[in-house]
Amino acid sequence: MSSELLTTSLAILIQGLVATLLLSAASIIGGTLIGLLAAVLRSFGPWGTPRIARLYTELFRGTPVLITLMFIYFGVSYFGYAIDVFAAGVVGLSVYQGAYIAEIFRSGIEAVPKGQWEVSQILGLSKTQAFFSVALPQTGKIVMPPLIGQYLSLIKDTSIVSMIGMSELMHAGQAIVDRVGKPVEIYGLVAVLYFVVCFPLSQWVRHHDRRRSLLS
Amino acid sequence: MSYEWLTLAGYWNDFVRAAWLTLQITLLAFILAMLLGLLAALASAARVGLLRAIASVYIEAIRNTPVLLQIFIVFFGLPSLGVTLNAYTAGVIALGVNVGAYLAEVFRAGIQSVPRGQLEAASILGLGRAQIFVEVILPQAARAVYPAIVNNLIQLLLGTSLLSAIALPELSGTATVINARTLLYLQTFTITLVAYLVLSSVLSWIAGQIGTRVFHPPLVMTKRSRRPFFMARQSDRT
Repeated sequence: MSSELLTTSLAILIQGLVATLLLSAASIIGGTLIGLLAAVLRSFGPWGTPRIARLYTELFRGTPVLITLMFIYFGVSYFGYAIDVFAAGVVGLSVYQGAYIAEIFRSGIEAVPKGQWEVSQILGLSKTQAFFSVALPQTGKIVMPPLIGQYLSLIKDTSIVSMIGMSELMHAGQAIVDRVGKPVEIYGLVAVLYFVVCFPLSQWVRHHDRRRSLLS
Repeated sequence: MSYEWLTLAGYWNDFVRAAWLTLQITLLAFILAMLLGLLAALASAARVGLLRAIASVYIEAIRNTPVLLQIFIVFFGLPSLGVTLNAYTAGVIALGVNVGAYLAEVFRAGIQSVPRGQLEAASILGLGRAQIFVEVILPQAARAVYPAIVNNLIQLLLGTSLLSAIALPELSGTATVINARTLLYLQTFTITLVAYLVLSSVLSWIAGQIGTRVFHPPLVMTKRSRRPFFMARQSDRT
């Protein structure tokens, strides 16, 4: 690969990487909030909400993220609205990953010994207070490694948003290959960029979670 | 039934054929993944440094890049190196190689979950390295990793949807075509969603049945036992 091609494609790919990172960050925030909400509803929700939360996690854990994305992207226009791909990507990834994140939070919540809930109640804390100030802080150590692992797969999943036409890293790579060919070199470069982002995270997870999450 | 659903009923055959293709690719890629995973797990425990290095490059390279990219490299990249594959073969290879890296980590964790004392006891009893692996480690590790293997199988099934990007007419690819032809977004994708849901629940149900029959005592594969490993431990305690 000529150095000129390398520099021009690298410039385009870096732009794509920025879009990938923005999409990842927004979806991580969205997915975490949705996941936390679903986990709380599943464990403490009133009326029928635990059942709905369970339905939600099982639905998305049993279907591909691509279908969720297409559902949102095409579905919204079915109702006569337009949605841009970035928004569709953020919503799709958040809702999808939220289901996996909910399970992680739920396992954290359930790991808090029952006695602590009883003590919090006796001390006059409301259920919400007990959750946020007693249970949640302790779940950190249990929840963090699988949570970061899930963020890692979310970041990799952002590549799928290219299939509904968002120009992020994967899409940028495809565009260059369409124009100049050289798929091995260009996709190799794309792989290196993903690797640079993902490797530190996966090493962190491996270090903190040597075998527990792997056998989950 | 409204006319939209009736229109899609005309595509019933396409959906069934697509679901069958999805299942076929899932199973073929899974066999490849099991082989690669086992090889990589063994290589990463080998005494030869080169083997360990190869295994760790394979595992890290795959786990830290997106599947879609790997599919593109196999399908669009390999031809320029002189290896041309059709979408079907490329899909099976890409997904098999991908899931193999995840399974390698699972197998490695499974082997490590067998207490060291047992290895020492086995070697004192005069068992050889291969014998220890087959007769002591494998039966116990298999039980420990079984739920994780099933999870990976389901992830593999869902991953086949990405093969629509290389124009393979599996479920998602077929849905995209039918969607473009009929413009019935909601109905088409609802059917597709349900099809995946059925396939994934049937696969995990079968896996659960196998789990209760193959292992002694039976490995109960309810949703509960598919919870994260550390969770099961915690709830045992209370």
